[in-house]
Amino acid sequence: MLHYFRLWLASMRYSVIRTMMFRADFIMWGLVEFFWMVVNIAAITVIYQHTDAIAGWTQYEMLLLIGTSMLIQRLLMGVFWSNLFELGRNIRTGHFDFTLAQPGNLLFMVSTRKIDLDSILNVLVALCVVIYSVRQLGIPPSLAGMVSYAFFVGCGLALSYSLLLLVVSSTFWIIGSQGVEGGYFTLYEFSRLPREAFRGAANVIFVWVLPCVVMTNAPARALIDGFNPGYTIWLLAATIVWFSLAAWVFHRGLRRYSSASS
Amino acid sequence: MIAVFTKYRHVFLVGLQSSIVYRWNFATRATFSLVHLVFVFLLWTAAFETQGTVGGFTLGQTLTYFVALLVLQFFISAFNEDYQISEEIRNGMINQFLLKPINYFIYRFTLFLSARLISGCLALVPVLLAAPLFLTRLDLPLAASHLWLGLPALFMSALIQFTIAYIFGLLTFWFLEIQSFVILSMAIEMVLGGQIFPLDLLPDTLFRISQFLPYYYQMYFPAAIFTGRLSDPAVIAEGLVIQAFWVAALLGLAHLLWTRGLRRHTAVGG
Repeated sequence: MLHYFRLWLASMRYSVIRTMMFRADFIMWGLVEFFWMVVNIAAITVIYQHTDAIAGWTQYEMLLLIGTSMLIQRLLMGVFWSNLFELGRNIRTGHFDFTLAQPGNLLFMVSTRKIDLDSILNVLVALCVVIYSVRQLGIPPSLAGMVSYAFFVGCGLALSYSLLLLVVSSTFWIIGSQGVEGGYFTLYEFSRLPREAFRGAANVIFVWVLPCVVMTNAPARALIDGFNPGYTIWLLAATIVWFSLAAWVFHRGLRRYSSASS
Repeated sequence: MIAVFTKYRHVFLVGLQSSIVYRWNFATRATFSLVHLVFVFLLWTAAFETQGTVGGFTLGQTLTYFVALLVLQFFISAFNEDYQISEEIRNGMINQFLLKPINYFIYRFTLFLSARLISGCLALVPVLLAAPLFLTRLDLPLAASHLWLGLPALFMSALIQFTIAYIFGLLTFWFLEIQSFVILSMAIEMVLGGQIFPLDLLPDTLFRISQFLPYYYQMYFPAAIFTGRLSDPAVIAEGLVIQAFWVAALLGLAHLLWTRGLRRHTAVGG
């Protein structure tokens, strides 16, 4: 365990050095992500100029939801996104051989090669949005609230990771998996909506079958209403099921991998 | 004149053919847009839950606006024209155009028109297939006499969209990588172009300011005319004048960047 932690620290150090080599790039991408967060907040602020509630959620409850959604997304982007994205490309080109030859847990090696500092920086911005909303809502800070929030966000990150791994693993079967990125962002939009907004078929698909709604609604509600056992069980079960499924599909795909012509 | 027309007619026809190659790409993109439309429907339905109108418009009118945006997007938005132009500059592919009696801007714009014709028509397929699901929730504007004013607005919007993409492509003369610029500007265009919310929901002063920016004329302006959010002919006429100004300004900027850029350009490869 400690060994893996050291490995991760080493890749982190490598990422920091690399980022400092391309400083302008780092600043530019940091700005890009920051702007996209501003876009989402602006949209909500404008709608609340004209209405008091969206699906029963007040403005700052909604901001908390959006902040949480950003937090999970930035964490995913910062820690796993480019690793998994590269995995897809490597499977296609055959460069995946290099990873296969490394000693250590394959999934760990694949997922932790580098981190994106610009996204990590924006994790702080998302965190500020969350803290600001909590203060506006007048929620008294409690240790239990913060611990369960952190735990739920962790589950959300694991869920997002699993979904992404699942999609990227499809590269073992189908060669062209472009549009993956677009598909992910389209799907992730739903995590910025309150669960109460979903009706009919949308409710079945996005709330019950796919975990994109529960992963943000559970932590946000945990801060607003306090600990909720229903959400806890639901989120935990979803995380375990989706992670197991993703890991299973990844290993099934691995058996099909036959490298590429060199 | 006729010779010039024939020249670009061939470019157009070649453009049509090469766009058809990417038909699945466009179809996938349109399908993703439909999923995005589900998000839009859910969000705005929830926002209208406690009241009949938002900013003076009903839910039906607002949803119609977003459906119009979705369709228009495939007819007038620049997709990856900026990257293509950037690629051509970096790889030295533009060298061949410097030697031939071809205007690079018109050549690229002709290709853009052919590509949008194909992507627009292809996008209509999934939209029409899904139409029975949402048609009853829309509130289509009654045939009004001013709707035809949307056509010049639409053409100029396409020109603005393309020219902005072209300008970003030309930045390659100065910068190696333009992706971050493009995505940054996309965020601004999404908001100020009215793709996240109809611009008329902005506070009055901000809305007025937005009318003097080019983004307003990228998407919101034609969509608002077609869906009846803008119906006062005097306001539309004023908009068309400002839009024409922006077309001219952007074309001027594009020309300036092109001549300046070429001075820096060293023809590598080709």
